[in-house]
Amino acid sequence: MSTDAPHEPILGGAPSARRFGAVNWRGLATFYLREMQRGFKIWKITLAAPAIRALLFASVFGLAIDRPDATMAGMPFLEFLVPGLIAVAALERAFESSSFSIVYDKTEGIFADLSILPLTPGEIVLGYAAATVSGSLMVAAVVWAALLVFGGGLPHAPLALLFFISAGSLMVGLFSQISGLWSRKWDYIISVQTFIFMPFVFLSGVFFSLGELSDSARDVARFNPVFYVVDGIRFALTGYGEADPYLAAAVSLGVVVLLWVAAYRLFAIGYRFKS
Amino acid sequence: MNEKAAADGTARLAAPPRVRRFGLVNWRGVWTLYQREVKRFLKVFTQTICAPIVTTLLFYTIFSIALHDRVRVVSDVPFAVFLAPGLIMMAILQNSFQNCSSSIMVAKVQGNIVDVLMPPMSPLELICGYLGGGVTRGILVGAVTTIVMTVVAGFPFHDIGAIVYFGIAASAMLCLLGMIGGIWAEKFDHMAAITNFVVVPLSFLSGTFYSIGRLPEMWQTIAHLNPFFYAIDGFRYGFIGQGDAPLWLGMLVLAGIDVVLFFIVHRMLVTGYKLKS
Repeated sequence: MSTDAPHEPILGGAPSARRFGAVNWRGLATFYLREMQRGFKIWKITLAAPAIRALLFASVFGLAIDRPDATMAGMPFLEFLVPGLIAVAALERAFESSSFSIVYDKTEGIFADLSILPLTPGEIVLGYAAATVSGSLMVAAVVWAALLVFGGGLPHAPLALLFFISAGSLMVGLFSQISGLWSRKWDYIISVQTFIFMPFVFLSGVFFSLGELSDSARDVARFNPVFYVVDGIRFALTGYGEADPYLAAAVSLGVVVLLWVAAYRLFAIGYRFKS
Repeated sequence: MNEKAAADGTARLAAPPRVRRFGLVNWRGVWTLYQREVKRFLKVFTQTICAPIVTTLLFYTIFSIALHDRVRVVSDVPFAVFLAPGLIMMAILQNSFQNCSSSIMVAKVQGNIVDVLMPPMSPLELICGYLGGGVTRGILVGAVTTIVMTVVAGFPFHDIGAIVYFGIAASAMLCLLGMIGGIWAEKFDHMAAITNFVVVPLSFLSGTFYSIGRLPEMWQTIAHLNPFFYAIDGFRYGFIGQGDAPLWLGMLVLAGIDVVLFFIVHRMLVTGYKLKS
């Protein structure tokens, strides 16, 4: 310590670069917390609104169906519907979390800052993904609790439920990261949401059993990976699934891995944000 | 004409600019605002026209698959035919609301609302300009959706007059509501709250998916207090020729609400509520 640097004693030592090992845990945690705060600062929109919408859907169907014997896939209609509503809420949150954050940063002109953070592409993808999964689990829990007024109860297989909601929100969340990277403006991401995400989710068996479809339509619907997520969530909640739960788990995991690799590659090459 | 004026470019003008005179109504002003409003949504037509149409068709598919043989509606009308007018009306309502509310909201946030308040236009003329733009979008979305559904599923048209009247009156109602919301809201959060907690619940619980006549007594009473119910019921009457409420009552309710909302917006603009300090 030299005497000609009088400010140094105040600092208690010269500032030095923080060292970390293979993973920058503190950076990752900071990034994760920023993403979470972004989403849940507006909790009325991210938590209360999905719960209200799920309640509205359930009331509308409850009021519309005036035949007590109305069933879907052999179970009371509302019992079939509730898992679908929980799945929709979780997946919608998953789509909006990363992509909206990315596009917001892009329109503010600060998205390229990601490339100067001491975070690797792998850590960035992980940070976004972790925030997506925790956000979706929160929304799913709130919607599940709200829908208790329509019956339902404790899940049939809680661990499977945790797995399928996480896998589903990862699937959608990684897709949302890729869409966010691809989007130059809000128009782009809203188009992806309206023309790709919503049809995939709403035609996946959220509101109806695939048994209601014609044979050819059913074959097409089975190629929709979201079907396996929704079906898995329904199995975990009620014990009834249309596909084998292990097949559903395998398909969900497989798609997640593929999308993870794709998202990682895009962040690594700096797709549409590094020139 | 001297050289200096020629250099300024004024020589090219036939005469010095003068104040444009107009009579009781500033028609050109209203027309300009109307065009601005229409261009505003047409510029992003994938979001403002295509998206609501695709979403409505998607919901139509889902609900007809999920509910077709589980719901009894009115006698001898298939559920798919009963459902369609309600969904079209919901699209009209939501898009009319969005157009007017977002236009004012965005202008407030960006600070260019003064460009609308400064020109020589009376509050009445301003309302007409905004209203025209919102109704145009609502009707455009409704008309294209109706055409697509008619081609795909084939619908009866019982009374075109009722379809047009309820389409326009309901669209105007939501436009005016959107203007009130847009003037009142200070942040986008407030707007999202109005949409999520007022507009969406009122349109869902309005009898799009079921016939009010089959509900328990209490729900029927609640439904009759919901103005959206009259919009959907009357609009549906135009297609299938049957409704839950008398036609004249629906027409009267919508006209009455439109007039009341019009006066509220007018008052807001005259006093400059949350617009002028």
